[in-house]
Amino acid sequence: MSLRKLVVDWLDVRLGIRDLLEQNLTNYLLPRNINIWYTLGAVLLTLFGLQFVTGILLLVYYVPDTEQAFASVQAIMNEVPYGWLIRNLHAVGSNLIVVALLLHMLSVLFMNAYKKPRELTWLSGFLIFNLTLALCLTGYLLPWSQLSFWATTVATEAPGAIPVIGDDIVRFLRGGAMVGDTTLGRFFALHVMGLPLVFGLLVGFHLFCVRRAGVSRPPFGPDYRGEPERFTFEHEHHAGGIPFFPNYAVKDGAVICFFLAVLAALVFFAPNLFIPPSAFEPADPFVTPPRIKPEWYFLWAYQTLKVFPSELIGLGIQGVFMTLLALLPFLDRSAERRPARRPLFVVCFVLGIVVFIGISVWGHLS
Amino acid sequence: MNGKSPEFARRRAFLGTLLAGIGAVLGAAALYPVWRFLAPRKGAEAQDQVALSRDQVPLGGAHFFNFRGRPAVVLQTRAGHFTAFSAVCTHLGCVIQWQAAEQRFLCPCHAGLFSADGTVLGGPPPRPLESLAVTLRDDQILVG
Repeated sequence: MSLRKLVVDWLDVRLGIRDLLEQNLTNYLLPRNINIWYTLGAVLLTLFGLQFVTGILLLVYYVPDTEQAFASVQAIMNEVPYGWLIRNLHAVGSNLIVVALLLHMLSVLFMNAYKKPRELTWLSGFLIFNLTLALCLTGYLLPWSQLSFWATTVATEAPGAIPVIGDDIVRFLRGGAMVGDTTLGRFFALHVMGLPLVFGLLVGFHLFCVRRAGVSRPPFGPDYRGEPERFTFEHEHHAGGIPFFPNYAVKDGAVICFFLAVLAALVFFAPNLFIPPSAFEPADPFVTPPRIKPEWYFLWAYQTLKVFPSELIGLGIQGVFMTLLALLPFLDRSAERRPARRPLFVVCFVLGIVVFIGISVWGHLS
Repeated sequence: MNGKSPEFARRRAFLGTLLAGIGAVLGAAALYPVWRFLAPRKGAEAQDQVALSRDQVPLGGAHFFNFRGRPAVVLQTRAGHFTAFSAVCTHLGCVIQWQAAEQRFLCPCHAGLFSADGTVLGGPPPRPLESLAVTLRDDQILVG
């Protein structure tokens, strides 16, 4: 105990650490009716941290060369002690992250937390979501399996539908006419350095926004009152709320443990749930395996492209949908945040989920 | 509840110890695979013997090769007489060079000199070169 006091005293004199901890932990009050959906941010932070650590570890043995990539991943899986664990945590973890991200976005949407003054939080979160998908896509290519090769071929083919410049975009993405050495080089650079760098900055900004504006009050319960129209910056205090630490941090911890347990269960008992058999064959640019499909979170986009007669219309609809989603807080400007008072919004919300699941299942079965 | 009662303090200490214990076990369970993942593996360096062909070592010349993960050198000083040494200088670990004209080893880092039988001729090396066992079988030289 005295050693701890000694260390804290030393830091306190230099950094004012007690004051910082008080401001951000014990005296940082959250709304009294805060619910479990607010823990997803902490869950995502933990899962991304795990990706960061396992990613660096994989980098120790992975060789980014088309001749050696597949064999190096096989060596990680079969020869390096606990290599299978590190790699499966990384691969399965990415799927769990997409699940958590979707839940996080849906809860923010349902509780209308994206509204003024939190537009920047929403926008940075939306960019983080897109960067995550880009990280998933670039990471998919690295093992240089049949699955990697053909999934990347199909994914990088899509912009080809854009008139005039489409083919140039495809060539630029691939670094050549076909997926090959140059594609692996640029995807590797993006996956391990380029995207994580931007990603880290964005997450920092996102957390800064959350902390600076203050956590939004869940729009439920009889005590809910609308927020006053604001024209100057004001941190949203929640007088009489619960302290972040220990009260809410414990809840954060519990849900983090739940997600880690799900991750462990998948890694130990169903590691191949998200990994089809074509991931176990080395890439062969001359043989397309039958029934090639993207990952489950891209199925909606895949099926949209198939449904419309012109790929350009399919791409356009995806673009419009994503743009609407990004700009939602600037379009939806009413101050009302209670879902019960916004039937049209709730109908769109539920329909959106149903359509997303429906199209994905259709894409999976077709 | 009175936060200062001894009963409360005891429970608190117990819970704290319990949590710290669980945390330590979980931390160890997470770190052990990482440690094993990163630890160098023994298998790669444990080839016991290295077989070389006699033709590879010219008379009065040297042949450098990889022995248990480190550079080594075999010499043919007289016809049919082979000696082998670790090629790592005993000073700071640089790899020695064979100077055929002088029939000696030179370490290029700090000008250490070794004779053809591995003893120090000059310079900073504190010990002679580590000598390796050589056996001859047919036209092969077995080191180690």
